[in-house]
Amino acid sequence: MSSKPKQQDYQASEAEKTQASVAKEEKSYFNKTYGPLLREMRDVSMREDLGGVARGVAGADTMQSLTGQGPSLTGTKSVDEAADLASAAVGQMAAASAQGLAASRQQQTGVLGTARGQAGEAMSGLAAASRIQNTKDLEAAKAKQMVRMAQTEAAVNLGSTLFKQGAKNLGSGSSLFGGTTYATDAAGNRVAATEANQDKKNTWSDRFSMGIYG
Amino acid sequence: MALADYSNALMPETRGFSTSTLPSVDDPEKAFADITRQDYENYIQDYRGFEESLIDKAKKDTSLIDRAPEDAAKQAGIAKGVQERNISRYGGAGLSIAQRQEQQRALQRQGQLGLAGSLNTARTAQRDINQSTLADLINIGQGVNRSSLAGMQTASQNAAAKASAYKNAKAAHTSSMVGLGSSLAATAILAFAI
Repeated sequence: MSSKPKQQDYQASEAEKTQASVAKEEKSYFNKTYGPLLREMRDVSMREDLGGVARGVAGADTMQSLTGQGPSLTGTKSVDEAADLASAAVGQMAAASAQGLAASRQQQTGVLGTARGQAGEAMSGLAAASRIQNTKDLEAAKAKQMVRMAQTEAAVNLGSTLFKQGAKNLGSGSSLFGGTTYATDAAGNRVAATEANQDKKNTWSDRFSMGIYG
Repeated sequence: MALADYSNALMPETRGFSTSTLPSVDDPEKAFADITRQDYENYIQDYRGFEESLIDKAKKDTSLIDRAPEDAAKQAGIAKGVQERNISRYGGAGLSIAQRQEQQRALQRQGQLGLAGSLNTARTAQRDINQSTLADLINIGQGVNRSSLAGMQTASQNAAAKASAYKNAKAAHTSSMVGLGSSLAATAILAFAI
């Protein structure tokens, strides 16, 4: 007949006891080290105003894009430049607020997920909040401003070329646009047209060959 | 601290470490039960309120919508300020009264359009964020649900196995007692018969 079962045969083995004591120590270390960190993240995620950060970035982006080059007379005279600025800024602010709130929520659910033993979200909310995409309003206002500036630049270029070429044409004894070469004396001074010394009407090919278009 | 410093004399407390210094755990089952209980208490104390507030926000938050009118008015004010400063910088910029009025009308019109647009955007974004937060929370809840069911399943399987082992042991004991009794009886009968 077999002997009576002994209690010590049914107790935890040395290996199991070591495994348990390591696991208990690890757990206690985790609670001591990461518990407070997670609680701090919880508080930060509730307190931190990521919307404010995002809105600050958006406001700076908008103003840098639309007013960063300084004021221009054309812009100041324009009927809708200020309205475009307001519209772009409102659009950017709305996008920034949404992005900031989404980042906050992401951070909060990340903390809760970790606390509940689920996978946490690794991305920092702050990083997400500061990556504001430009809204279509800002892009439209920027495009409009660029067109306005390009138009002004083109007008200035045209005017200055016209002025320089006109002065050159006048200096060489032609009319402003080079359509007529005036009668001159031997010294090259303009004189009244006579039968022998007449003003000459220049054709288009004459004008090109004279270089009067600059 | 450089990575190399973690293995030199700057970390004396970890260099001489041995697992024999750890407190011994004679009853792992009790230790595990204590940890499980403590973890749950910690969760209730530190995260239950946070979780409920997050669920509440995911259902009721309207902060984006509330902020939209304030933003529209503020940005229109800033744009108006920029416009006025620029006009003053250019000494009136040669604008006629009619042009100035048209600028103001454009700004007002854009302000109202901006308000309507940003309210619409805010409503959509708010709904999107609330839904997505709720979805994340439900995912977390599903994970919790799954692990709690798994925990319950293990506990119930263990209980069933123990009940069955107890029943078997009782049957074995009864059978052994009956066997012993009958063998004693047989021996007694034989003793009297001889």
